[in-house]
Amino acid sequence: MRESTRMLLHYVTGLGIVVVGGVHLFTVFLTGSYSQNLAFIGGAYSVISIYKNAIFAVTLELLLVLVDYHALNGIRVILIEFHQGRGWERGVSWILAIAGLLLLVYGTRTILIANAIVI
Amino acid sequence: MTEPLTSELRKAITGWFIPFRYNLERWAYALQRITGIGVTAYFLAHIVETGNVVGGLSVWNTPSAGFARDIWTATFQFLENPLFDLGLVVIGFMLAYHTINGIRLTLTEFGFLQGKPSRPDFPYEPKSFTKSQRAMFWFSILFATATAVYAMTVFFGV
Repeated sequence: MRESTRMLLHYVTGLGIVVVGGVHLFTVFLTGSYSQNLAFIGGAYSVISIYKNAIFAVTLELLLVLVDYHALNGIRVILIEFHQGRGWERGVSWILAIAGLLLLVYGTRTILIANAIVI
Repeated sequence: MTEPLTSELRKAITGWFIPFRYNLERWAYALQRITGIGVTAYFLAHIVETGNVVGGLSVWNTPSAGFARDIWTATFQFLENPLFDLGLVVIGFMLAYHTINGIRLTLTEFGFLQGKPSRPDFPYEPKSFTKSQRAMFWFSILFATATAVYAMTVFFGV
């Protein structure tokens, strides 16, 4: 992927996070008291209710994908500005891509399993 | 590449993250990087933390609601202390700054708020950092401070 494409994706995911992350923060902070919304169960915005709600679960997954790309590409940009060289760039990009994939798998796993919990 | 990597890294870090003696744009840049790294660290911790909603890494099938609730409640109780709450206030500041300043950078990337091209004259103020951009930078600081104050009221009931 060309560097310009990666940076375009960086800006697009950034703007996406403003929207989807806004929804996430809204459900946690602005729909009731903080301790109520971070309780496991009780109310429409408790932890398990959010995961069990299809729309919110998809929102969380989307947020995970967007932040995963944006965060790791940001680290990549910082690291390839530290030092230039083909080997360094390829190594940094590959290691961060694998780290990003692992995070994505673990986060998706959380969402899928939590969505399947029977309450 | 004549310079060894470590000294290059040290030079880069002190050059970027200590923006004294430079102009405001440099501060915006350094803060954007520092807050980005901070929020990334929070993101990693958050993925691990929320993994406990289903019982953590050792659980690979759907747990019972009671089991998941116990693990999550224990996690939440562990995290509910002044140190982590203070951390969240800082993360709130970082996230808010990174968002507004990021929007400013996105506008710059796509050519907005650039001002008219003009001859560089002494004292060579950066032309790209226009009045509206400065306003947006200060707004990001203000918004981040407001977020931190809001977070204080949520976590400490100030």
